[in-house]
Amino acid sequence: MAGTSQRGSGSRLTWVLVAAILVAGAVAVFGGTAPEDEGAALIHVEIGGEALWHIGSFEVTNSMVGAVLASAILLAGAWYITRRSALVPHRLQSLLELPVEWVAGIVQGSSSRWGGYVALVIGLFLTILVCNWIGLLPGVGTIGLTHTVEGHEVLVPLVRPAAADLNFTLGLAIITFVVFVWWGVRINGPGGYLKELVGEPRYMAPLMFPIHLISELSRLVSLSMRLFGNVFAGEVLLATMLALTTSALVVLPLAFVIPGVFLGLELLFGFVQAMVFALLTMTYITLAIGEHHGDAHAAEHTDGDNEHPSIERDSGSASAPA
Amino acid sequence: MAVTGMDPDGDGDRDSRGVPSEARRPANWGIAFDLGIRLGVSVVLGLGGGLLLDSWLRTSPIFTLIGMALGIGAAMYTIWDVARDAMRR
Repeated sequence: MAGTSQRGSGSRLTWVLVAAILVAGAVAVFGGTAPEDEGAALIHVEIGGEALWHIGSFEVTNSMVGAVLASAILLAGAWYITRRSALVPHRLQSLLELPVEWVAGIVQGSSSRWGGYVALVIGLFLTILVCNWIGLLPGVGTIGLTHTVEGHEVLVPLVRPAAADLNFTLGLAIITFVVFVWWGVRINGPGGYLKELVGEPRYMAPLMFPIHLISELSRLVSLSMRLFGNVFAGEVLLATMLALTTSALVVLPLAFVIPGVFLGLELLFGFVQAMVFALLTMTYITLAIGEHHGDAHAAEHTDGDNEHPSIERDSGSASAPA
Repeated sequence: MAVTGMDPDGDGDRDSRGVPSEARRPANWGIAFDLGIRLGVSVVLGLGGGLLLDSWLRTSPIFTLIGMALGIGAAMYTIWDVARDAMRR
């Protein structure tokens, strides 16, 4: 029995080796790189946005085009919702309202002052989500202008997902940073905020102040770098998979399967990253307010005349948050 | 902005501490995603600041070492801060 099994595994190994040799041969014959292509990169990766046009000294980059496109999509959606909204929402209205309601529901539980920052959190979530998903549309990254860089012709895509540019993510992170510092100053006063940075006891201030400062600044850097890193890595991954699966005739059938799998994953990652950025903004502001969830719940139930408007559940509508 | 259908009975989806389960879970994910990166970023910020100060004041490696120590301290403080906040909640 043992001998039969060994013979069986040996013949299987032979077939695997024969198949591997055949595939390698096919790749060598059909998929070999032409001599004139030697030295040319399989994909062109640019870490920053690439200039498309110049208006004076001002560069219009493809990530700007991506951001403007995302803004236009959001504005069109907002215009549609505000102009054609019905008390009983139809399908498209429900679809457009769904993410807004979902994020508003999450922010509502964060603190009693949620009305003051719910618009920012929803705005960040929707902006980043649309920016990320724009990168998955056909034509984005493949349609562009041809520029010559170091003797090679390089395609500069017309649209690049805005979050794949550190300028965009850093801008969003600075907005978040300013808002949560402002909330901290507003709630505790400038003196109270500084006292928090200095910490207790006072004689530890020379040690604790720089530590607190680094800890605060790390939020700004981590917010921007995480979003940029994830979206940029996703773009590179998609470009690599497309380039690899279309680089040779023998692997061409895989081009119909493998990039699709990664596109699906990027759909999920784009959503997760938008959610993480928005939720961290909410968490930082809640921490700056210095109120805990239990307090928020108590405040909602005891203080009927909350200075911030709350959701009117009975009527099914709400006033605009401050 | 019309916000409807989130919690029709007022507090049906809250736990015993008054925290809406819908709000708690995603926020915890966010904190978990954030913590790992902030540890690294704190050290890099401290080290980078020390290196810059040293190159500016030509006192290498004094501020580099101080910055690195502060960065590691800030990373440890971040863990403690997040854990303290999680325990409070």
